[in-house]
Amino acid sequence: MKRALIWLILILGTVVFLYPFLWMVSATFKPEMEIPSFGLLPSSITLASYEQVFAKIPILRSLLNSLVVSISITASVLFFGSMVGYALSRLRFRGREVMVMVILFTMMIPFQLTMIPLYILMVKLHWTDTYLALIVPGMMSGFGILLFRQFFKSVPQALIDAARMDGLSDLQILFRIIWPLSRPVLITVGIITFMNSWNDVLWPLIVIRDQSIMTMPQMVTIFAVSGMAEAQLGVKLAAATLLALPVIIAYAFFQRYFIESLASTGLKG
Amino acid sequence: MKVERKIAGNRSSRTGFLLSLPYWAWFAFFMAWPLLFSLVLVFHEWDIYTPMRWVGLGNFVRLFQDDLFWQAILNTLYFLVIHIPLQIGLALLFAVLLNEKIRARGFFRAAYFMPVVVSGIVISLLWQQLFSYENGILNLLLARAGLARIPWLTSPEWAMPSVALMATWKNVGLYIILFLAGLQNIPAWLYEAAGIDGATAWQKFRHITLPMLNPAVIMVLILSTIGGFSLFIEPYVLTGGGPMNRTLSAMLYIYKQAFYFNRMGYAATLGFFFAFIILAVVLVQRKVVEQEALE
Amino acid sequence: MKPLPVKKSPCLHRFWIMLVLSAGVLLVGCESGSRGKAGHAGLVYWPAANAQEIELAGLAAAEWNAAHPDVPVTVQPIPESQSTEEVLLAAVVGKTTPDVCSNIWPGVVGQFVRAGALVALDSFADFDSVAAARLPEGQREVFQYDDGRLYQMPWKSNPIMMEYNVRRLQEAGFTHPPATYSEFIRAGQALTRDLTGDGQPDQWMLYVDINVKWWLRYFDFYTFYLAASGGQTLIKNRQVTFDNRAAVEVFRFFRRCFELGIFPRASFQGDTFLAGQVATHITGPWNIAHVDKFKPAGFEFDYAPVPLPDSAAGPVVTYGDPKNIAIFATCQNPRAAWEFVKFLISRRQDLALLRIASQLPIRRDLLSDSLYMPYFKEYPKMVRFAEQAPRTRGVDSAPELREVFDAISQEFEACCVLGRRTPEEAVQRAAERARQVLR
Repeated sequence: MKRALIWLILILGTVVFLYPFLWMVSATFKPEMEIPSFGLLPSSITLASYEQVFAKIPILRSLLNSLVVSISITASVLFFGSMVGYALSRLRFRGREVMVMVILFTMMIPFQLTMIPLYILMVKLHWTDTYLALIVPGMMSGFGILLFRQFFKSVPQALIDAARMDGLSDLQILFRIIWPLSRPVLITVGIITFMNSWNDVLWPLIVIRDQSIMTMPQMVTIFAVSGMAEAQLGVKLAAATLLALPVIIAYAFFQRYFIESLASTGLKG
Repeated sequence: MKVERKIAGNRSSRTGFLLSLPYWAWFAFFMAWPLLFSLVLVFHEWDIYTPMRWVGLGNFVRLFQDDLFWQAILNTLYFLVIHIPLQIGLALLFAVLLNEKIRARGFFRAAYFMPVVVSGIVISLLWQQLFSYENGILNLLLARAGLARIPWLTSPEWAMPSVALMATWKNVGLYIILFLAGLQNIPAWLYEAAGIDGATAWQKFRHITLPMLNPAVIMVLILSTIGGFSLFIEPYVLTGGGPMNRTLSAMLYIYKQAFYFNRMGYAATLGFFFAFIILAVVLVQRKVVEQEALE
Repeated sequence: MKPLPVKKSPCLHRFWIMLVLSAGVLLVGCESGSRGKAGHAGLVYWPAANAQEIELAGLAAAEWNAAHPDVPVTVQPIPESQSTEEVLLAAVVGKTTPDVCSNIWPGVVGQFVRAGALVALDSFADFDSVAAARLPEGQREVFQYDDGRLYQMPWKSNPIMMEYNVRRLQEAGFTHPPATYSEFIRAGQALTRDLTGDGQPDQWMLYVDINVKWWLRYFDFYTFYLAASGGQTLIKNRQVTFDNRAAVEVFRFFRRCFELGIFPRASFQGDTFLAGQVATHITGPWNIAHVDKFKPAGFEFDYAPVPLPDSAAGPVVTYGDPKNIAIFATCQNPRAAWEFVKFLISRRQDLALLRIASQLPIRRDLLSDSLYMPYFKEYPKMVRFAEQAPRTRGVDSAPELREVFDAISQEFEACCVLGRRTPEEAVQRAAERARQVLR
């Protein structure tokens, strides 16, 4: 009896959380008139909504922009973040403790505070409407550094000493010895960084006005809000589906990593 | 031995410094400079295009007289008052259920987590349809059940609760996982000992489960608060801040002042105050929750 | 511990790959940053982003280039995704402004001038003789900046009028278009009805976009306010002037229409006027060609001034939606740009503006010049707009104008659409907010 109740609630929950997505995807294949209904099966399948999205906005270009931006940021955060994390956990140098404090401090600063000056900096550097504005401010992550530092601390000192004996430099030690041991933390930092930058829309909205540089979430937002979609539901939902697709596919394959990464840090995407 | 150490120390001192340089460069440009410049901005009126104008405390005076600033704070608090209890309640319920030994647990976990990974824009566009007054799915459901339609996004009273409902739907999966992890960390002997003392299920929940979940609860409170003040894309897409500014969020208001009206100085001042409020609220929450845990 | 198998070769390849990648990113960024700059010899010209004006600009440039191969003009339409003002202001900051732009909204000219972005056109020796044909009598002050100089060449205006479905109004018992609020409401009540029998009306008087975007209020509140107030704008010498009876009347009128249900409170897709869902439409001359092209068989439409409060007297003044031409200070060859501007406002180009874009050039002799007569004979409806053109107003040139409009739009929503505030209260609150903004 109790079992059955638990199952009932859990299944009800699944419907509540998953059905809207299924409905959304099916709505994009329905004729516009049939969208306001519960059913998943359209009377006839049409690609009209997708055709319109592709005709009205350069969505593939924006997908490419998003990939360039998110991959650059993720690569940079992994690369530089692990470098700094290594220095903080494995090397002794002056200012190390101060640096940890500074990083903790910057992580407490809400974006509300730095958003406007940061935008002005982009304007002054003539970076608006360029990839630079999208990528460079995101190239470092205090949170990534601290995760790396935490993880690298657990690498046995003997391993590093042995590598030193063999004459490896610190960078070689980091990338040859430590990286292969650090898969979990690399995946965690990688997923979180990638998702945050993939899903970010506020910053692109601020620094990018040129359609050819827009990221995909920005493009879809402007498409939906500016009236370009002409209040047509199917078209809006098709754009949303295209935007969700890469993440959903990645999630389907790596959901364990997604859940563990996000939960271990408590950060939202 | 000692000499060797010294050499190693010297070497790592230089390398460590070199390796941390990229961070300092980034920090100088994208943290320190904006922070310092925001201190300049709050005393100026500036549209970026024409020269800056010193206004002293003018921006602060404006802020305290600005109905919309207070409205944005009120809206955020209203959002939190609905969002946080709903979030904690639902997350607890599902976490407790998932903590039972049940088949397909992984599947349920993954299903509930799905909205967390999907972009807020997708969620907003989807819910825009669900919330539609004329032919949204939610109102169709209500109509089928013989109930009156609800003006989810079009009435000033309902708009913010609707946004809060959607935000809960999006985020609750994360908190289910957090609570679940917390539950699994509770040692079984605590319950056994309480069972021997004759505690009821409710007593066990109240006096063992809840206190042990305290860190997770703090996390929910802090993240929800920051999330509430950072609410942007949801009102931007769903309501544009309306109706009657009832879903105008802190972030949306900063954005409007800066990029609709070109008031950089005032927008920076708003950012300054909202940041201050976030920090204050978070500190208070942490204090209160920790205190309650001690009692 | 087992010794680790370590190659001695420098294994910094990851480091180098990253460096190369970062450099690549920087390069791509810089390249896209410098895009949009044309060669020194030519001129870059930004028309508005709509299809007709792009076509017009393309033809004009081709003709110009044939005659002036030494200063070729390149046409670059303003990106569509944002408002022209935003794009231009961003360009001012980035110093990437075009040489000539023909989509200058007078509301932002002040900002451009203070940013040092515009060339004063009256510094050209023949300016007065050129401008004389364009500036309407006694309208020089309307176009000049606070320093008494002119930075914009009046180009075109689009008087906003009431477009109406002749049959629909006849069905409601009106053989002439409603000229007063009470007539308008009477017509609306007569023709608002439920055609499908589902208990919801599906035919109304007018569709008002209920979104609160500030610029939407040009076509409802502002147009009706200019008419009701006899052409008084919102601000004078940085003082709020709209907390008056006219504004209250306009608010009351819209509130009543929403309350009566003769304006729908929903959002629609498509053209509600063409579909026959609404009987009237507040719009400009560009819509004539559009309706002519897409109207169903037997569809009759015409234009009239927007209605007035019962107590007010005509003639009706309306919003002119003027767009002007300016030369930007980044221009390397202002003399050539000035020649191009003069070409753009020549008699023949004005005819092309009428023919291709269906918009009215601002010129005194529009209805008397024989060059344009065949056109007006062919498009008699354009005559209504040309006759209205002398009685139009633009917007006040204040950097805070958007905020003033935003304040009005917020109250418009609260009072007219939602019915939560009285008209008096709403106007009072909007004026109060506008005063705060202007302080």
